[in-house]
Amino acid sequence: MSFTLRGRLETRLAVSLLPLLAACAVALVLAEWWPLELAAIMIGVGVVLDSVVYHRTFPYQSGWLALPLGLLELGVVMAAVRGAHVGAPVDFALLFFGGAWLLGQVLVHGGFPLARLSYAEDGGELGKAGLATAAVAAAVFASAGGVAWATIPPTVHLSAGIHQGPIVLDHSQKLVGDAGAVVRGGIVITSDDVTVENLAVTGGEIGIEIDGAENVKIEHVRVSGTSLDAIQARRASVTIRDCLIHSPVGDYAQGIDISFGFDLPPSLIEGCTIVGGREGIVTHFSNVHIRSNHVSQTTLRALGLTEMSMVMVEGNDVQDSLGVGIYCGDYSECMISDNVVGGTRPDTASGDLTRLGFALVAHSGAKAEVEDNELSRNARAPKAFLGARITAG
Amino acid sequence: MSGAQRCAIVGGGLAGLSAYATLRHGGLAAAEIAVFGTDPDPAAQWRRRAAAIRQRRMRSESDGHVAPASFPGLAVRSAARQSDTWPLILSLVDRYHPTVSEFLEHVAEVRERSGWDESFERHTVASVRAVDGGFAVDDAGVFAHVLLAPGHPGLALPGELAGDPRVVHAYEPHEYADEVEVLGAGMAAATEWLNALAAGASVVSVRRREPERRPLNLPRHLFTRRGLRAFHRTEADERALLLSGWSAPSYPPGREWDDPLEEAQKQGRFRVAAELDGASQIVAATGFRRGFQHDRLLARLVAEHHLDTVEGWIVLTPDSTVPALTDGDRTLSLAGVPGQWAFPAADTLAGAKYAARRFLRRVKACRSR
Repeated sequence: MSFTLRGRLETRLAVSLLPLLAACAVALVLAEWWPLELAAIMIGVGVVLDSVVYHRTFPYQSGWLALPLGLLELGVVMAAVRGAHVGAPVDFALLFFGGAWLLGQVLVHGGFPLARLSYAEDGGELGKAGLATAAVAAAVFASAGGVAWATIPPTVHLSAGIHQGPIVLDHSQKLVGDAGAVVRGGIVITSDDVTVENLAVTGGEIGIEIDGAENVKIEHVRVSGTSLDAIQARRASVTIRDCLIHSPVGDYAQGIDISFGFDLPPSLIEGCTIVGGREGIVTHFSNVHIRSNHVSQTTLRALGLTEMSMVMVEGNDVQDSLGVGIYCGDYSECMISDNVVGGTRPDTASGDLTRLGFALVAHSGAKAEVEDNELSRNARAPKAFLGARITAG
Repeated sequence: MSGAQRCAIVGGGLAGLSAYATLRHGGLAAAEIAVFGTDPDPAAQWRRRAAAIRQRRMRSESDGHVAPASFPGLAVRSAARQSDTWPLILSLVDRYHPTVSEFLEHVAEVRERSGWDESFERHTVASVRAVDGGFAVDDAGVFAHVLLAPGHPGLALPGELAGDPRVVHAYEPHEYADEVEVLGAGMAAATEWLNALAAGASVVSVRRREPERRPLNLPRHLFTRRGLRAFHRTEADERALLLSGWSAPSYPPGREWDDPLEEAQKQGRFRVAAELDGASQIVAATGFRRGFQHDRLLARLVAEHHLDTVEGWIVLTPDSTVPALTDGDRTLSLAGVPGQWAFPAADTLAGAKYAARRFLRRVKACRSR
């Protein structure tokens, strides 16, 4: 078929209308924005490719091209979803895209030619129906955008300089630090839908404390000099990205502690660097995804996943821990893949036989499923204790 | 004519059937349409020509059919009938060409389903004149909307070969002598090369220019608005030049054409020449006469209404209607080869549907319908 540019765009919007309305319905049911964000990215990518690439590249588009172009679009959409941190589950996103693509093929090859006899020779243009479709799509996006704008949390900027804490965030908001902004004495988050970005936090017992809150995002923060937890989440669902935690104070300081949120949406810790402390990342009775972090020089263990946690640990770099690199204990279930664990040293002073420099320990009925991990320079190979199991994935 | 009849289709061939099926699909009753033709079988003429050149497969693809909607095309129908996905796969890569028998079955099915025979009248129309309320079609009545699909105005034969007993036109029934000269280089000529070789003859392809190799009669974008927009913007002289250029001979690329010719060349049974060379049989694969002036009905229409023409073409609007004789209350549309001014591939099945769909649009938009 030889599409005109208008035909491509009208066809694109027309085949996207049903998926867009479905995304609206899912968004309403779940009270989440990501279905609409996913649909917007999918349609936006399609419109841009239509205008910039396809129209110039394909004066005539043979039927078989639908498949490779569909795969190309899928790749771009998934990359954009990831890049924009849209919280759409991957399986839903794939299903949504696949369903929309299939519907598009049915409509382009069957539905539209039946509904409008000259559809093909008009280059995919839909006449008045095309304009109406574009208007509906625009109205849906305008409505969604309006609602999003009206309900978007306020953004509070913290100017450069030292701000005395604790700062309590007890309502939905976005706290953004200007370059050089430092909070001394901690931040306490007790409300859902809070985002903290670009801040340095120093001193106090707990750097950032999240208590009973969901959909909390901590991004690009630096925490140092805390005496207990740099970041602590209790009964919370939190996303922590690209943080730097270092220079703990005292023997009990640790990096990130996420606990007692098993029944809440999973938390994510990604792209953080943690240096020192007893434990780098610790979970208790929580559902957590720990991905692409660098944890080093801990004195108890680098990653401690305990008390019936369900944890996916992938792509992390764990170095120079004392006693244990990765610990999966107390009936937790841990999927551990593609990590690098190196230089784990024995803790002979403790007298604890489970701390003799193991790269990985499964303990007390825990199940650790391991795959493609790179273990080097560790004093001991992985080992299971007290009814725990380590299995290859 | 019954009082309810508003539309007339002059021409009972494939373009006429395509227009009729489109009108019926658009909601017109059989009683509202009159079809004038010489044979109630809309494929009669086409069938004879296809048989003469022993054509087995269509040059057109899945959507080369006479049904009103593109979907389902012939590939889908074939796949459904045979429970085989292969036609669909071929169609996806533009390699599906229905067999002639499949196409003829489809034509028969559309004829039956559309109620064609209810509207058909055996009548050779000599005159269509603009009158109050529409167009007088001979003395058969006055119709508000008329689509003329008279077909090709006869076979073309070079003047110097007239009366030569060795000459047969490719579209007339014939067998092959031991030595055959095939005049022309289009689809019919290429088919005749292979036919004559298969019959054991030695073949000389007599051609004055090399044929183009392309899957369809014209480049694909010229079948849709994307290519037509630029075409419709051209001035009259330029458009006539373009149409003349596109009428150059062509046949599809592919090994099914090339391999037998290469093999015959090696055996000394096939060669190309610029002039006729005294073979015992000359097959003139020279197509059809070109220009409205060769069609008595169209020539009279032009003369009586002083219609604009450029060389052999009647000037049409992009929707294939005659501008001087079409307004909000009446329509005169040309389909098939006379419609080339609006749609360069008007003499194809796609062209027939192009004119038919726009005719339907006019009829439905008519204030007095």
